[in-house]
Amino acid sequence: MKVAAEKKDIKVETKHIQKSKNEGCELSKSQQTRVTSKKSNSELNTHFITNKEKLNTNIQAPSSILPFIERTKLEESKVKVVKEPEKACIEGLSKAEIKAQRRAIQDAQRNAKINQKSIVNDKQPEKSIKKVENKKAIPLKTEVFKTLDKHRVSLFNHLYFEEFEKLQSLKNFTICNNGVHPVFFKLGEEYRSKSILGSNARCLALLSAFKTLVIDFKTPPNQEFYRSLELTIGVCVSYLNKCRPLAVSMTNAVRTIKLLLTQSDINETDIEKKKNVLERIDRYIQDDIDTAGEAISLRVQEKVSNGDVILTYGYSSLIKRILVDAHKREKRFKVIVLDSRPLLEGKEMLRRLVCNDIPCSYLLINAASFVMSRVTKVLLGAHALLANGYVMSRTGTAQVALVANAYKKPVLVCCENYKFCERAQTDSFVYNEIGDCEALATINTSERSTELVNWKNYKKLAPLNLMYDVTPSDLVTAVVTEIAVLPCTSVPVILRIRPGE
Amino acid sequence: MQTSEVKSKFESILNEQEDVSTGIAAIMTLMEVLKHYNSITIQGLIEELKVAMEAMKDTNYSAAAITSGCELFRRFITLGTMDYHTFDECKEIMLKRGNLFLKKLKEAKGKVMKLGSQFIIDGSKILTHSRSRVVLHTLREAAKQNRYFEVFVTKSQPDDSGIRMCKDLTELNIPCTLILDSAIGYVMEEVDFVMVGAEAVVESGGIVNKIGSYTMAVCAKAMNKPFYVLAESFKFSRVFPLNQSDLPDEYKYSPEMRKRDLSKEHPLVDYTPPALITLLFTDLGILTPSAVSDELIKLYL
Repeated sequence: MKVAAEKKDIKVETKHIQKSKNEGCELSKSQQTRVTSKKSNSELNTHFITNKEKLNTNIQAPSSILPFIERTKLEESKVKVVKEPEKACIEGLSKAEIKAQRRAIQDAQRNAKINQKSIVNDKQPEKSIKKVENKKAIPLKTEVFKTLDKHRVSLFNHLYFEEFEKLQSLKNFTICNNGVHPVFFKLGEEYRSKSILGSNARCLALLSAFKTLVIDFKTPPNQEFYRSLELTIGVCVSYLNKCRPLAVSMTNAVRTIKLLLTQSDINETDIEKKKNVLERIDRYIQDDIDTAGEAISLRVQEKVSNGDVILTYGYSSLIKRILVDAHKREKRFKVIVLDSRPLLEGKEMLRRLVCNDIPCSYLLINAASFVMSRVTKVLLGAHALLANGYVMSRTGTAQVALVANAYKKPVLVCCENYKFCERAQTDSFVYNEIGDCEALATINTSERSTELVNWKNYKKLAPLNLMYDVTPSDLVTAVVTEIAVLPCTSVPVILRIRPGE
Repeated sequence: MQTSEVKSKFESILNEQEDVSTGIAAIMTLMEVLKHYNSITIQGLIEELKVAMEAMKDTNYSAAAITSGCELFRRFITLGTMDYHTFDECKEIMLKRGNLFLKKLKEAKGKVMKLGSQFIIDGSKILTHSRSRVVLHTLREAAKQNRYFEVFVTKSQPDDSGIRMCKDLTELNIPCTLILDSAIGYVMEEVDFVMVGAEAVVESGGIVNKIGSYTMAVCAKAMNKPFYVLAESFKFSRVFPLNQSDLPDEYKYSPEMRKRDLSKEHPLVDYTPPALITLLFTDLGILTPSAVSDELIKLYL
């Protein structure tokens, strides 16, 4: 019953969004031009840093978020997605307009809810969730080990998802609802199917989901707004964590938001509190993600000179932004995009660079040593920067850095400050993520079907698809952050001076 | 002050006072500019200082040292003085601060000398490059403590500054040998360690120094000899060269050279990456290259 009701709810939202989307397209164009003209005012890097505050207020539309939207739009055909607050901030409407839009959204949702007479947050979420977990934990474990153990690499046993248990618990979640906002079900599915990829995109999607949650949130009776919101966020995040382990960027964002919830003034009305929280989330997106990206882009552009051959690996939204910005500044350089199976993210990078008229070539990672001699600089994105100066990134990054180091080419890792992580790690075993093993078995490039397709029939075969690897700091020449260009060894200093922790 | 005035002031400081290094001279010149400034706006002052900085960079002295000196001046003397009411108050505070700052900087060399001389033990053979005031003073300090050691000095083309260094050392009764720049590899096997100065210490922990330092560092690494750098902390500068070609042109070439075709000109400095440096002796203590960037972050953030 309730599931059906939810579906209705979503439909209402979709219609509303479709409308606002059409309006948004026109607006965003004019907005973009406005932004570029403003940017030119603050060309100098130093100037930019000192006037960071000022700049933040100037730029209304975070241009970096646009590509994420493009990307999600592409994938919307696969999974129907609704994402309103993100849109609002992308279109870069004035505050009043955003407010009006939010109010409209709120009204629509409220009406829909009244019709269904089922309100999401009314049930006390924490208690029921504990019950569910207790129930499922005991009977399932034994079964799981029997069925799935055989196709595992024992070294990584601690990383395997309990596939069966996971599905079961997801089902529990969906049936009992438990205070998880519907937007998180969609988001979780997108994470799981990897239609949202990359730690920036994932973090932005999460933050926009938070915004929807805050807008729709109703304080349960006899509870304080911030406390109950914090609990609900906790529940939602743990649901997402079951869909796909959280990225470091997401964990950091969640931590910051929870921190601001605990520090906020509780003597305001709920509406003011909501406004407050939404503002803070928007500011986080602006300051820590968008403006940070811009600062990094400016710093790296100083290092890109005419005639450079820049090698990059996979698809990093930040690297793409840097390269496109540098090209706009009339720097003449070539890009070599390295890529690897099974995700083939580099294709996306290639598409976007070619769209921007940047001369590119595309190779798979096994040709790295062949092209490295022609390369002048290597630019890499990062999933996280660890406290010991090591860089955690998509698998293959360490290999690219190693080859670059062998050829004595400078390796620059670009990473926003909010992706810094207090964990220290020297190998990829302890903390990692195992991707879909099925993806290794299918080769979409060859016509013939491979032996591997039936890998589950072979008892002794255990394909391993690791998502991340760790690059030692001595293979990295410099890390570019919004604060400074640093050697990897200075990451702990940045962690120490980071405010609020 | 006019551009030409600034230039002549800067040059006269360097010519008259033997002991003053380029960075300090730059700061002293900026202090003069500040003293003679008679308009009443902060903005105007900042503009004037900027012009003075550019003027100094246009002389034949090391741009790396001038830049880092000026940056420090800006960071510690002119910034953060805006909360006083009148401009005269501001100016007074700035001058006071500036003098205090200069005093501190002049003490820096003493600290470096003290730390560096500990590493020179009886019977050691030291290789040094070009002429550096800190290295000279450190060697003098060690000789004063009655240590017996031998020094190899490279001739250091193109300005032959090694010859002067050799003369200075002979006057101090320190046994020294002048060698050709191309003989670095030959003498490396018999020296105990390499000790050089620096024009600038960059954010990576590497150094920018007279051309040939990189060659020496590579040789020392190959022969597993320690490579020590003596540098005061006012030489720390916020640049991060990735390789030799990434060094700014104003560091590598003199103003006259920059007017000509750069592909035919020979660079005056090179960049030694942190991996080749064993230790840096600074007034902040003895640092590993990776600690330099930590100190820089502390200084500027």
